[in-house]
Amino acid sequence: MRNGAERCKIMIAGVGGQGIVYLSNLIVEAAVASGISASVSEIHGLSQRSGIVTSGIGLGEHCTGFLARASVDLLFGLEALETQRCLPWLHRNSSVVFCNHRLLPHAVNARTAEYPDPGQLARYLQNHCREVVCIDTRQLLIDTIRLNLFCLGVATRLAQFPLETVAIEQALARTSTERNLEKSLEVFRQGMECERNPTCL
Amino acid sequence: MLKATVDILRSYSQAEPRCVMGNVAIARGAIEAGVQGVFAYPGTPSTEISEVFKHVDAYLTDPGANPNQDGIAVHELYFEYSINEKIALEKAIAFAVASQRAMCVMKNVGMNVASDALMSIPYQTFAGALVIVLCDDPGCHSSSNEQDSRWWGTMASVPVLNPATPQEAKELTQQAFSLSEAIHLPVIVRSTTRVSHARGMVIYGELPGSGPAPAYDRVPEHINIPSRNTGAHQALLARIARPEVQASLQRCTRKLVEASTSRAVICSGITVAYLLELHAASAGQTGVSILEIQMVHPFPESEVLAFLRNGYDQVLVLEELDPIVENNIRLIAQKHGMSVDVFGKGFSGLTSAGEYSLDLVAKALHSFSGAPVESGIPLPAWEAMCKNLPPRPPALCSGCPHRATFYLLKLAMPRENRELVLCGDIGCFGLGALPPLKMIDTINHMGMSISMAQGLSTALARERKSWKTVALVGDGTFFHSGLASLVNAVYTRANVLVVIFDNRTIGMTGHQSHPGAARRLPKYREIELAPMLKGLGIEMVETINPFELREGMQRLNRAMQHEGVSVVIAQSPCIFLPEFKEGMPYRRRIAVDPKRCNSCGNHEDLSLSCSRRQSPSGNLVRARAKLMAPKAIAGERQLCPANICNHGFFFAIRDGDYRSAIEIVRDKMLFARTCGDICHRPCELFAGMPDKVPVKALKKFVSGIDEHFFDFSIPIARAEQAAKSNWRVAIVGAGPAGLSAAYDLLQAGYSVDVFERRHEAGGMVIAAIPGFRMDKQGFRFEAGQLEAMGARFHFGKSLGSELELSELAAQWDAVVLALGQWRPATLPVLQKLNGQGPRVDAVHFLERFNEGLDTGIPDGDLLVVGGGNSAIDAARAARKLFPSRRVVVSCLEREEEMPAFAEEIAHARNEGVEIWADTMLARCEASQTLHVTLNRYSSGEAVAAFTVGGIISAIGQQVCFEDLGGPEAAWWDGHGRLDPEALRREYPNVFVAGDLCSGTHRSVIGAIASGKRAANSIRRHLENYPYAYEGEQTFVRLCEDSTKTNVRSLVNGKEAGAPVYEEAVLPQDWTTRMEFFNLFQSCMKCNHCIENFGCPAMVMRNGKVVIDDNACTLCGLCIDVCPNDAIRWVAIETEEELTLT
Repeated sequence: MRNGAERCKIMIAGVGGQGIVYLSNLIVEAAVASGISASVSEIHGLSQRSGIVTSGIGLGEHCTGFLARASVDLLFGLEALETQRCLPWLHRNSSVVFCNHRLLPHAVNARTAEYPDPGQLARYLQNHCREVVCIDTRQLLIDTIRLNLFCLGVATRLAQFPLETVAIEQALARTSTERNLEKSLEVFRQGMECERNPTCL
Repeated sequence: MLKATVDILRSYSQAEPRCVMGNVAIARGAIEAGVQGVFAYPGTPSTEISEVFKHVDAYLTDPGANPNQDGIAVHELYFEYSINEKIALEKAIAFAVASQRAMCVMKNVGMNVASDALMSIPYQTFAGALVIVLCDDPGCHSSSNEQDSRWWGTMASVPVLNPATPQEAKELTQQAFSLSEAIHLPVIVRSTTRVSHARGMVIYGELPGSGPAPAYDRVPEHINIPSRNTGAHQALLARIARPEVQASLQRCTRKLVEASTSRAVICSGITVAYLLELHAASAGQTGVSILEIQMVHPFPESEVLAFLRNGYDQVLVLEELDPIVENNIRLIAQKHGMSVDVFGKGFSGLTSAGEYSLDLVAKALHSFSGAPVESGIPLPAWEAMCKNLPPRPPALCSGCPHRATFYLLKLAMPRENRELVLCGDIGCFGLGALPPLKMIDTINHMGMSISMAQGLSTALARERKSWKTVALVGDGTFFHSGLASLVNAVYTRANVLVVIFDNRTIGMTGHQSHPGAARRLPKYREIELAPMLKGLGIEMVETINPFELREGMQRLNRAMQHEGVSVVIAQSPCIFLPEFKEGMPYRRRIAVDPKRCNSCGNHEDLSLSCSRRQSPSGNLVRARAKLMAPKAIAGERQLCPANICNHGFFFAIRDGDYRSAIEIVRDKMLFARTCGDICHRPCELFAGMPDKVPVKALKKFVSGIDEHFFDFSIPIARAEQAAKSNWRVAIVGAGPAGLSAAYDLLQAGYSVDVFERRHEAGGMVIAAIPGFRMDKQGFRFEAGQLEAMGARFHFGKSLGSELELSELAAQWDAVVLALGQWRPATLPVLQKLNGQGPRVDAVHFLERFNEGLDTGIPDGDLLVVGGGNSAIDAARAARKLFPSRRVVVSCLEREEEMPAFAEEIAHARNEGVEIWADTMLARCEASQTLHVTLNRYSSGEAVAAFTVGGIISAIGQQVCFEDLGGPEAAWWDGHGRLDPEALRREYPNVFVAGDLCSGTHRSVIGAIASGKRAANSIRRHLENYPYAYEGEQTFVRLCEDSTKTNVRSLVNGKEAGAPVYEEAVLPQDWTTRMEFFNLFQSCMKCNHCIENFGCPAMVMRNGKVVIDDNACTLCGLCIDVCPNDAIRWVAIETEEELTLT
């Protein structure tokens, strides 16, 4: 793996419709093509029905996609509340790509529950995890449907990211239609250059 | 999908690693084993297996459509989604009987439906192979129970294989086929969610050539008859002990790790993967040997015995759900006299319920062996961060037709009705049990809804007749197992309504076809529901489009009322079907107008008290009215000069919440009962149409409920809790105007003193309005509440004697003058009688009448002069006092122009009063008797001359100019009233209200409104209160109209040419009649769509609903749902509102 590790646990969290399964497929495709064993565990029985979707990916031998507490090396949090729900799985050495995108669950709309402050979560992650990139999605000028690819681009800047960029771009080419590929690559690369991008907190 | 299908059908001569889902691996295993027939019913977590074959089937049916044929080596293959698991298994058995390799796929509970077939085929035989894949769901991610399918092996005496990873799943599936073919028994491959849905590396290999040719062998075993079956059972036991099974047991019992300790872990299923991961993570330092058991029935007794004999005296057993492996090991140890400590269920948190996890297994392993568990350092205090996070349960999709159907049910079947039981079923639409829909009372196993409904109906009918039970069932489930129950309902003459949620697909599992929706697949033939149901003899079968709410409601109500079996088919495609998008609007979006969403249509100052209750059911009443009420009246057509929230009042009553209704009136004014008695209801008259909400009659009804009327605690509390200011206000005149000013000021935290000339509060209302028109005690109660609210009353104080205007203005922060008009005007013709004859003023007469005193009128008939309300009141009072005397009212105006309210005139006439309109008192001669002559006013001709006992003069009231600076003072307006602006030039802190005030309308509601306006002016004057008087527009309209002759008649109740608008008395069936109206207005306390509808595309932002365009599917239903009419179609580019036809 690019980061020299033997195993890497990745978690992707968000809400049905955010392209979580696609993102995990893409990572697996890139890993397998790079000769890295990959396993995935997803819970998405009701993903199209605005429920929670989480995907666990294990890269390396005997590394399943199942996640234990404090075991995730890299978290993609595509939605703020769902990222917060993932804290038990993180450890002090985790890296996080965090989007402050908010998708309000019914209880919040109906005022029976309060949506936690994404800013507070961002500060918490920055204080306690190894490498954290917080993306202010309100400033982001990309189609929200491609937020997943943007985050993947951002993740390539992290020291702990296990895959080569070129493997991802090739995997993108294999999994996209021609019409989408150009746009997808553009968003992915925008994410890669996020350090020069003021949208990152 | 095509790529994946081609991949799974391709033969690889060299091993090809793939990262695929366990379910795909099972399908690939079957293909590599040469499966020839696949039969399935979809069900999570098994569905992806059959979905592979659905795509393979589509591909093989038309391979020419796909040019890429390289390496495709699969032979002919039959696939079907059968209507349920029993049929699927039966057909798979038949395939195996026909020498074919068959596979049957279902989820755990599917076997409950199919078990009849499973239990009998092992006694018989088949020539081919039969593999049954059962997917269990520990943790119940998507199932109604956690049943452990491994027991079927014991029950039916068939082999059960239990894989741990996708690769094992593929290998064991292949092995299952060869074993089944060898021993002519079904072989079960049992998976679990975590194996089926995990993806892992799987090796794809070569595909076989064509399999065995179909054949039918006429052997006696195909006939199942009792006399043969004991022998068959023995034969079965022999078959499961055959060498091929023994060979499999050997192969399937795998020693994975060998450690030099006496501790071993024996595991099966997903726990193997967890263990190996922990083992690898600890670099092999777990200190235990590991044995995997892949075949759990028959149990590998000799293999396990041999393993245990390696000297393990402590064994940890890791298996999810029931202790099957564990019990077998205990049995072996007992049987062979071994002393082994077996750790299983009950050890270190291991239980039979729920699924195991990496964490749980790590903990158990650590407790068992003491080996350290590798893990990172958790984040500090994450527990606090994760406490009370809002849940995110799944919801029906935006645009889902089921939501539309549930919404219809919500409108038609109030949840408050406890005698209405909604029996739900399995499927997407089960989400209707969750908030905000909450329209399901029971959900059991698949297909139970109709049986539950008919059973409950039969049972409850014995208790009471009014129970109604409704079965709610999805279209897929209906064909799966609902149909037979419906036949039973018809057969047993049950009284049930069945609602079939027909979204044209099996939605939950990923859109499979079923017999009712197979049009897209030529392979299947569609069965139309309605004709089929009618064919069963069901008289009432209604098909509705749930997006057509009005029509849907009507049909649903019809079906509800039907005695016997009725069926409503709510038919509209799932949003994932291509049909959903057909006819979708183009270049349009749905937008919410924030001005109408959760905004008050009644006032700007939202801190003003609003007693409308925020309740989902209350909003539902509004939504129901929007759809169903034939008469929609915009709130602004029925406004009150006192700005009472008429729509809130109306809907509180429609909701049966009478308490809130009276409080809504009291939010704005004191005199609920008095207005119910004597308000001339400008709100109704302004509406200017024949049908309007009978607000006055409703007010009379609501304020007539003593329990609520005499409880004034809420406004009193409001005054007590108001932020107290130091402002002191003097109110001169305790009529309805002055008291209304006091009421508003007290609630705004002011200190209020009321000065009154008379000995009690009430002014003209108490003095001049006859007791038969209103409840005087009610008024006294209402007026008296001001004292409880903090007002101080000073009686017997009048301006010009005890009080001086300049002193008041100097001593008080503000003054309200509400003196009224108490001086009667007199006709010159009557002035001659001054002191000589029996002439009285109407107000004086009415005062004495009200107090029960002698009116001083001598015997003889009575003439009342004047055309106003006082004249009519006096005439009516006179009739009541002197029933035998003739009472004549003479007035200059033609009847339709009389200032009196039309209904009062009508009452008077009914009581025998003669109304002589367009007449004038020409002469009046007093001698022993009083002789009067009336002439026609318009023409001057003589009309009548007669003798009367007395004359009551009611030609109007005037201000006592002397009380207020004399008639020459600068502030009189030329019409004998006080111009507030002119007065304020002299006294900036003095305000005027009531009849004294220039331009106000002489009526109770006019007085109340002017008092409220004076209170508002004071607040603006003293505390820079930013809002104008809320009822201003209506009040101005009321006052202006009264000055214009042509509209005066309207305001006073005489619509041109129309019959007199009847005094509204609520008819017997008034609650039903209420349903005729929708008095709509945007309301602050709405939230209806969030509370009752809950489309995920609707989000709350700053208290307003916003449509998330990314989530909206443009179904447009919310437009009909919004009771505020705040949602509409807009053009994407221009944001202009559009009307869709």
